[in-house]
Amino acid sequence: MNESTPLLPTRAIAVFGLLLFCLGGCVTSRVENARENVTGLKEGEAVVIMAKSYHQGNETESDYVTCIEDALGRGSKGLRVIPRQQFVDSLFPWFEPRTAPAETKGLSTLMARPGVAQIVEDLGVRYIVWLDGDTETVAQGGSLSCAAGPGGGGCFGFAWWQKDADYEASVWDLDGYESAGTVTADFSGTSFLPALVVPIPLIARTQSAACKGLAQQLKAFIIQ
Amino acid sequence: MIAKIRATLPACLLVLALAGCSANVTMDEPTIPAPRIAKIPVQVALRIPEEFEEFVHEENVLGKEAWTINLGRANATFFTQLFGYMFDGLTVIGPNDDARDFAFDALIEPSIDGFEFSVPNQSKTEAFAVWIRYRLRIFDSQGNNASNWTVSAYGKSQKQGLRGSDSLRRAAVLAMRDAAALIILQMDKATGVSSLAGGALAEPSIEPARMAAETDVNPAQDEADLDFGVFAIGGIEDE
Repeated sequence: MNESTPLLPTRAIAVFGLLLFCLGGCVTSRVENARENVTGLKEGEAVVIMAKSYHQGNETESDYVTCIEDALGRGSKGLRVIPRQQFVDSLFPWFEPRTAPAETKGLSTLMARPGVAQIVEDLGVRYIVWLDGDTETVAQGGSLSCAAGPGGGGCFGFAWWQKDADYEASVWDLDGYESAGTVTADFSGTSFLPALVVPIPLIARTQSAACKGLAQQLKAFIIQ
Repeated sequence: MIAKIRATLPACLLVLALAGCSANVTMDEPTIPAPRIAKIPVQVALRIPEEFEEFVHEENVLGKEAWTINLGRANATFFTQLFGYMFDGLTVIGPNDDARDFAFDALIEPSIDGFEFSVPNQSKTEAFAVWIRYRLRIFDSQGNNASNWTVSAYGKSQKQGLRGSDSLRRAAVLAMRDAAALIILQMDKATGVSSLAGGALAEPSIEPARMAAETDVNPAQDEADLDFGVFAIGGIEDE
């Protein structure tokens, strides 16, 4: 009896840790792509990740775009990614939120403008990926209250919230001024915050998961 | 000593509380990238108005906080850079300079008709937004009123950090870039500034002062100006 007692806290900690891991990772996902044309990247060719214009109501977060840029460029099979600000500044004013082409049919007119095709060639940009969508809180509930006094403080209750991250990446091929296809990512995650004196946050990293998922699929889509 | 601390503590707390309810944002001088366009062959004089030397805008979010944005000389720098890129020749003149002392085809006088911004508390989003409405008055080399055009620009930036000062600054820069894009795309079409090259207007159709007054109160003109903006969004069919 005495020999078995030290195991109990270890087991309890392991079970609690597993519970935290499972609950914290409660994200469901669906990633799909729809290919319209053959893709591929030659040596020296690069991609640019852009957010669709907020003039058209798009709310894609800039840190999500940065996350996709980083994820695509990472690893042994990382793509060459041109930072979007460099691309936009180099081609000012043709990729500003007001002036950026909304459809591929505007690409040939755009490329015919003074210096545009040359800049695109110099940068080696083969694909422009347009991101649309955002992450938003779609449901929340529960109740949590905290109090503090001279003898100490604490929280009691339970709160939860659900976030949906829905993004679509449209891939434009600047080789033939045509659309190569789209990749969509729908992620949903529920976070929990139980509190019994100390609050224990079990956060679902929905946007981060959507970034990883979309970037992985996008890389596979472009490289084939 | 303790009495001294006791006396100053409430004042310190009050200052802290007040500081927590207001934010001051100072703009850096903006930099407009060199646009990929052909220059308009016109010699332009740009008159920088006095308000562009130190432009400050305050916005009180009802019952919550006060925001102050200090644009400083940002507008003066912005128009000097932009018109330097757009036209063959640019002379910058001050608010009190006599334009007759300078040689030019067109004199442009920009001004700010309106400046507004919204913070996340107001818009119930995670974004800061800035709207700027510029007015460009254009005169020929004889001082005749050639055109009077308003440009409505918009910039939006997601909130980053606790207070969001950087986001508001970024939204203002984006609004200026938006104005630059619209001016580059539509200015010649809307104002006919290139027709002023090499000579004054043959017949100024409207007496200058009257034209300015009418434009200020004419909503139809403003609607037409807004249409230019809508026309340009998401496309480049400006020719």
